[in-house]
Amino acid sequence: MIGLQILVNGLTLGALYACLAVGFSLVWGVLNVINMLHGSLIILGGYLTWYAWLHWQVHPLAALLPVALLLFALGWVIQMTMINRLVRQPVLTTLTVTFGLDLILYNAMNVLFDATPRRITLDLGTLSLGEVVLAWDRIVAFVLALALTLLLYAVMNASRTGRAIVAVRMDRDAAELMGIRINRVYAMTFALGAGLAGACGALMAMVFPITTNISGLLLGKAFVVCVIGGLGTVPGALVGGLVLGLIESLSGHLFGPQNAVLIGYGLMLVLLMTRPTGLLGRKGYE
Amino acid sequence: MLRRSSILKLGRLAAQATVTAALWTASTGAWAQDVIRIGAPLALTGGLADEGKKQQVAYDMWLKRVNAAGGIQVGAKKMKVELLTYDYQSDEKRAQQIAERLITQDKVDFLTAPFGSGHTKVVAGVAERYGVPVMASVASSETVFNQGYKYLFGTLAPNGGIVQNMAVIFTRLIPGVKKIAILGREDVFPRAMAAEMKKAAEANGIEVAYSEFYPVGTLDHAAALSKMKATGAQWVFITGYTQDLILARKQMGDLKFSAPIVTMVTGPSYREFVDGLGKLADGVTSASWWHHSLTYKSDDVFGSTEAFYKEFVAREKKDPDYVNASAAAALVVLQKAIEKAGTLDKAKVRDALAATDILTFYGPVKFTANGMNQGRDLPIIQVQGTKIVPLYPTPIKAGSLRPVAPF
Repeated sequence: MIGLQILVNGLTLGALYACLAVGFSLVWGVLNVINMLHGSLIILGGYLTWYAWLHWQVHPLAALLPVALLLFALGWVIQMTMINRLVRQPVLTTLTVTFGLDLILYNAMNVLFDATPRRITLDLGTLSLGEVVLAWDRIVAFVLALALTLLLYAVMNASRTGRAIVAVRMDRDAAELMGIRINRVYAMTFALGAGLAGACGALMAMVFPITTNISGLLLGKAFVVCVIGGLGTVPGALVGGLVLGLIESLSGHLFGPQNAVLIGYGLMLVLLMTRPTGLLGRKGYE
Repeated sequence: MLRRSSILKLGRLAAQATVTAALWTASTGAWAQDVIRIGAPLALTGGLADEGKKQQVAYDMWLKRVNAAGGIQVGAKKMKVELLTYDYQSDEKRAQQIAERLITQDKVDFLTAPFGSGHTKVVAGVAERYGVPVMASVASSETVFNQGYKYLFGTLAPNGGIVQNMAVIFTRLIPGVKKIAILGREDVFPRAMAAEMKKAAEANGIEVAYSEFYPVGTLDHAAALSKMKATGAQWVFITGYTQDLILARKQMGDLKFSAPIVTMVTGPSYREFVDGLGKLADGVTSASWWHHSLTYKSDDVFGSTEAFYKEFVAREKKDPDYVNASAAAALVVLQKAIEKAGTLDKAKVRDALAATDILTFYGPVKFTANGMNQGRDLPIIQVQGTKIVPLYPTPIKAGSLRPVAPF
């Protein structure tokens, strides 16, 4: 029975990994920007949700959409005012800019919220299926993570904005010649990435203690998930997240927790050498 | 409300930056010779910002009291104290550079060490090279003090002492405890504590059913906890930093995993552990190097544990923890050594520190040959409801050990 519990643990963890990686993957895939700010944006989403719950008793699930919209707006402003000016520069330039922005946001959050771990102490209880136990907040996070990923997939495939983003990803110059306003598509993409980070932060505030200490870890996980799942595809982030969650859970059980993270990174290295596009990586969002 | 407090906090940060800049400027100019300069690398930003600020508050409380009394008596004259603080941004390499700068450019007389065993070790190495006494307030791992350093002195007692008493007392009070499951963080202090617990358990006839380490950066403990649950251990012992322990306890709840004794080191020593867990914190035991219910009376600048506690609460609107007390005590001990030596000569003050045997508001301080404060009966605590209740030693006992309620 413990095997089934390990499997369930891995799936719920994997869904959270997918959730934190999908926005990062989108920005990297479309803009070719490695957004070093992503981990801190997730933490900001978590802090805002925690603050709304603590001071105004707003349920984290009710706060999810407003927090996502706030971060969407922040992402839009950052892209329009800063990154759009540099987006045609080599990837190292935008990486450095987002790294600098990350330092500012990280330390601003330390000043505003302290680095003290904050958690929403709203325990939703557990669901027991035989000997397998599942926490409701993890189930909710799992369902919402899947829903957010599917929503993004639908937006990419069925909306005008989504198709414009796909077109820009496939061929920026051709898309521009077709009349697509590149800067707005870029801003929309970055804002979507930031909004998804905010939504993920709201979910995580129910499950994890939120602290700036873990922003670098979240960024690292997003990176690994993207490499495993493949860039440029929404399902890639989902598959990458679930695979990483399952591998960490299984290897933690079989080889001890000290080796679980190592094995996850080992898989990333093997994939980089044998299948650099990742499990589902494709060129565009076609 | 967020906006207003944010502006205030940002304003305070700007003021701190200005003060630091002023000290920097002053440091390059001529110093009045009647000032004692103490250098303090602090983690004011970055991952350890919270801990660094705890040290900063305690240093400031001591500094204000000392200077209000005219300074420190050095031979025939009283000398005011100047504290030079730099933010090392929770970065070990930067801490090392700042220690070097404080000694070579700012010409400080003495140093304090940063937070934690790892960063203390690095700064102590620099101080040793230049022969500058360094006071460590938050390092308890013997691996920091067994390097042969002559100028390093720490106010925390060795961490081994924390768990030995627990093993004896807990097994006596809850007789059914036969098996223990231990999970430790791969880091200097938490790893040492997990290893000490394993030794103490074996010495007391408790079977170690599980003993593993999790790496720094672990975001999920479910796999380890599921395996620990399967062992049927009656005592669960987990070490780590506050965010690790909040997550582990939360996931124990998610997995309906409980045991009569759940110990987390040093989780409940920090108020934020209880705040971050709510009801889930109830019953968790731990140990600490200090608790504010201690009743020491002393002839230092604070005068008693109670006076320190009252001033801290009035200033910070919350209870002090062992980091606050130990940081203030480190400077109290340094002050006493300077007074005893009657000079700022570093080697003589070092000798006076080595010969320290005093009672402070924080407790007795007497250094062993390696510079650590000697072991004593450290407080064992338990969260009962949302209150932190001392269980041991007898003079501060405010409650009895309660088994953790199953889920």
